Amino acid sequence: MSSESRCALRSSILRKQIVAVTGLILTGFLAGHLAGNFLIFLGPEAFNGYSEKLHAIPELLWLVRLGLIAAFLIHVITTILLTLENRQARGERYAVNGSKSEESLKFAKKTMIYTGLLVLFFLVLHLSDFTLSDKEGPASMIAAGEGNPPRNLGLYGLVWNSFLEPWRAGVYIAVMLVLGLHLSHGIQSLCQTLGFYRNDLVPGIRKLSLVLGLLAAIGFSSVPLFINIVRTPPL
Amino acid sequence: MANTINLTLKVWRQKSSDSPGAFEIYQAHDIDTDLSFLEMLDVVNINLEKNGKEPIAFDHDCREGICGCCGAMINGQAHGPEHGTTLCQLHVRKFRDGDTLVIEPWRSRAFPVVRDLIVDRSAFDRIIQAGGYVTVRTGSAPEAHSLPVPKIDADEAFDSAACIGCGACVAACPNASAVLFVGAKISHLALLPQGRVERERRARAMVERMDLEGFGNCSNHYECEAACPKEISVRNIARLNREFFRAFVKG
Repeated sequence: MSSESRCALRSSILRKQIVAVTGLILTGFLAGHLAGNFLIFLGPEAFNGYSEKLHAIPELLWLVRLGLIAAFLIHVITTILLTLENRQARGERYAVNGSKSEESLKFAKKTMIYTGLLVLFFLVLHLSDFTLSDKEGPASMIAAGEGNPPRNLGLYGLVWNSFLEPWRAGVYIAVMLVLGLHLSHGIQSLCQTLGFYRNDLVPGIRKLSLVLGLLAAIGFSSVPLFINIVRTPPL
Repeated sequence: MANTINLTLKVWRQKSSDSPGAFEIYQAHDIDTDLSFLEMLDVVNINLEKNGKEPIAFDHDCREGICGCCGAMINGQAHGPEHGTTLCQLHVRKFRDGDTLVIEPWRSRAFPVVRDLIVDRSAFDRIIQAGGYVTVRTGSAPEAHSLPVPKIDADEAFDSAACIGCGACVAACPNASAVLFVGAKISHLALLPQGRVERERRARAMVERMDLEGFGNCSNHYECEAACPKEISVRNIARLNREFFRAFVKG
């Protein structure tokens, strides 16, 4: 790598662009994850079948996983470093903090680092709940309808039983609202950082970012909500 | 008969960059509402001098909103509450009788306080010195038709060139970032044929200098755009991001 490239990698702008690109990768992953989640509405065969297909080629699965882990780590570490630098750049604090911006939705921008960190902590719970959990054990047993003996429904059963616990469903829904907030600023922010400045597109991108953040929150929350409303799986 | 109001001013007083500062409270009595903010400070200063006190130091020059010298935070808002206005063009009539105004200098590690409300903005000058120019042989003005520029580009470059370098963007930014300033300077050159020749070198040099000065990183709050007295758009930041990436790719 040339000395100029190394210098650029330390620059404020390129590091922000690294955050933007890794953010885009993670957003793409979320879109795929959400599409997969919706298969739960089609029943255990569709949902477990999808999960099995994902695991069909372990080498490929791990390649994708390692890529995602790398993107996630780079995204988190870079944003923490940038945030610490930003705190230092102010120097002496203002006695009065005001704003001249008339934008109504400033909450998402101001809380990006906190919403991001919350999602990071949530990920530990999420991975231990499902990804690293036993998918064929007693937690997957579900009795479909009165009088039927319980059947092992694999990952479908595990997800269903987990979300029947109200605290877990509550935590998941709350964190998904936070994730939606993060995305509502993140998507338009990454477009700006990657240099989209066309007058005819930017207002649309800002609105789209809000809508996508909201859709992600609703979409991810729909599974625990559905399970708690239906209670017994429609088999 | 002119209307007059009374204001309470809480002003940051600091003797020099290495001495500690503190707020002092002054009463501004019977201030003509047609005075500008700086003229109001002049009146307060005359009274301070009469009482043998040190007048409040503030930067000013043209007092018609085009030089970029003046600027202070009024109740946490850069250049006060009016949009698209410098401090010298803000008038006392925008405030109400009895208001308390907290007046602070721009706060940024890159803009050390020189005295009271005056900050050292030479960090901006050093960014310009790093690449905010076009290296051309300067002779007599060339024939305008010899270098056609599309109207859209000319207008856009003109909007970017409206930046007066006052530093309100840095002051208003939660991260004390200077990207709106640098974006405006990069844009007005990158949009015109004369500036395109050196665009990669310029983007690299100006961003490198900006980072060296200790400004923060942009996180797209857009407070800068709202505070800018010349209403420079954050599109200039997006263009800076693109110009810098282009320079990086081209090596």
